[in-house]
Amino acid sequence: MSGLFCVCQPMKFAIVVHGAPYSSEACLSALMFAKAVLASGHSINRVFFYHDGVYTANSLIAPPQDETAVSEQWQEFGISHHIELIACIASCLRRGILDETEADRYGKSGSNLAPGFTISGLGQLIDASINADRVVTFGV
Amino acid sequence: MSSILYVFSRPPHGSINAQEGLDTLLMGSAFTTCSVLFVGDGLMQLIEGQSTDEMGTKNFSLGFGALKDYGVTRIACSKPDLVASGLTKGDFVIEVESLDAEGMQALIRTHDKVLNF
Amino acid sequence: MILHTINKVSAFELCKDLIARGDKVVLMEDGVYLGLQTLPFDVSAIRHDVEARGLGERLSGQTESIDYLDFVRLCTEADKVCSWF
Repeated sequence: MSGLFCVCQPMKFAIVVHGAPYSSEACLSALMFAKAVLASGHSINRVFFYHDGVYTANSLIAPPQDETAVSEQWQEFGISHHIELIACIASCLRRGILDETEADRYGKSGSNLAPGFTISGLGQLIDASINADRVVTFGV
Repeated sequence: MSSILYVFSRPPHGSINAQEGLDTLLMGSAFTTCSVLFVGDGLMQLIEGQSTDEMGTKNFSLGFGALKDYGVTRIACSKPDLVASGLTKGDFVIEVESLDAEGMQALIRTHDKVLNF
Repeated sequence: MILHTINKVSAFELCKDLIARGDKVVLMEDGVYLGLQTLPFDVSAIRHDVEARGLGERLSGQTESIDYLDFVRLCTEADKVCSWF
């Protein structure tokens, strides 16, 4: 039961995710860590998905029923706890993760940004890092 | 305002990750005090004479020349990794300080946050 | 005190010179395999990852299995977190 009650001042965490669901464990580890941050009485100022981590924001992911739906779990987590889940725009464009605005801008046939995620710039990572008390990166 | 140390450990070109790391450093230097430490295969990003014309991809090593102009405070590499690589600082596209273990530990300690790429 | 996270065995080569006396290390994901060895640091390993890999009874005596709540606590006790991968 250790860690359930925060005996220090509540801290703000920024979480950075570099790995795509299933291609690496980063995405899942980061989610479990994020849940533990909130359970410990701390807050998350932003979760920033970078490199292949932006694939987490792909609404077209349809894993087998008996496998962890990690993207869906991130969506639920972000929406229910009002946590900003930001997917880096440059990483998204390279990897084909588009919201409606970017899909229109680039003349693509559709958008696929999952609910709960927002596409935004690298400045959001820097801002989150500067303003957080702790930054934790889940890399590949 | 929080200072950020960027740690680069990936070689260039094998994936886009090294380039995206540099993009983050350049962005970060517009906001706050930043330094960069190259370790392991990250030292390979600094090799002079990279040419991606045939590949048609971006030769982002050219961007390292702008780090000082962007206000990046310290540009350092791991001395043990430099020795192990068989390269010398003369092989690099920019001037870099090489740090021993204590120097690298001090660099980490003197920055508020660390972003690893 | 700095908290270092290591998520794969090969990342240890990257960071071994940067872990100072008094720093702590959390092994996670494939990095928990490092817990089979005795390392010259204060080392914990994420229990989920240890159990997934069948290492529960095989970790070296010095490696403590921890949960994510402990991981968060270690982050708050450290000055900063350095992630190696």
